[in-house]
Amino acid sequence: MPLRQPDPDRILTALGDPTRRSIVEALSTSPASVSHLAGATGVTLTAIGQHLQVLEECGLARTEKTGRVRTCRLAPEGFAVLEAWITERKSLLERQLDRLGEILAEDNE
Amino acid sequence: MPDPAAIHSTFVLERRYPRPPERVFAAFADADRKRRWMGESDSHTVEKFESDFRVGGGERMRYRYGVDTPLKGAAITSEGLHLDIVPDRRIVIASNMAFDHGPRFSASLVTFEFFAEDGGTLLVCTHQGAFFEGADGPDLRKGGWEALLARLAAETTR
Repeated sequence: MPLRQPDPDRILTALGDPTRRSIVEALSTSPASVSHLAGATGVTLTAIGQHLQVLEECGLARTEKTGRVRTCRLAPEGFAVLEAWITERKSLLERQLDRLGEILAEDNE
Repeated sequence: MPDPAAIHSTFVLERRYPRPPERVFAAFADADRKRRWMGESDSHTVEKFESDFRVGGGERMRYRYGVDTPLKGAAITSEGLHLDIVPDRRIVIASNMAFDHGPRFSASLVTFEFFAEDGGTLLVCTHQGAFFEGADGPDLRKGGWEALLARLAAETTR
């Protein structure tokens, strides 16, 4: 399936659902098969498939069929857009204080 | 009802750094070090950064934003004054911000408090601001975020 343009509205809507968040949390540890995700979240295979489609469409996940197994993993695209959106909303001062932390960490006297 | 001539806002930020207060304080006291964390950024170049670290000492900066940022090549200037300095404990700075050769869009009082904590530092930063017309740079920012998103999407979905 071609990846659509990541869009913060769709990403935030997708993450507004607790089952989809638990799928994302499960996948943040490692890629997994659809049946493994169904077992881990206690949701039917059909429902997992629908949730994965939503996650795929907003750029948060990708699935790939190898032989008879459909493997799912997180996609960096959607998360990059989400991260950029959050960074943009941070105040200048917050970004500066984050940078101060990086500079202090670089000091190794 | 007429628009207010200024909007006031106060916010407090806290950060913990794994360095003792004297080290964190030193990153404010030394102009070159302060420039590294306060001035430098991927989104603009530092055209001026002067910090005279003593009570009554001034702070002048001018940043030029890239043409591909939401501020589209504009320069922002800031003029400030150190109102209070207590080594390793407190710094108070008052400053304004303006578009270069344009109107000022904000004035603020920023207080930095340094607390020793578990071998590191808790930095509490209180920003008390008065924001004027155009403080959010609506004209400059308009479309900026959308452009950024589009670039990001283009880059990540190649």
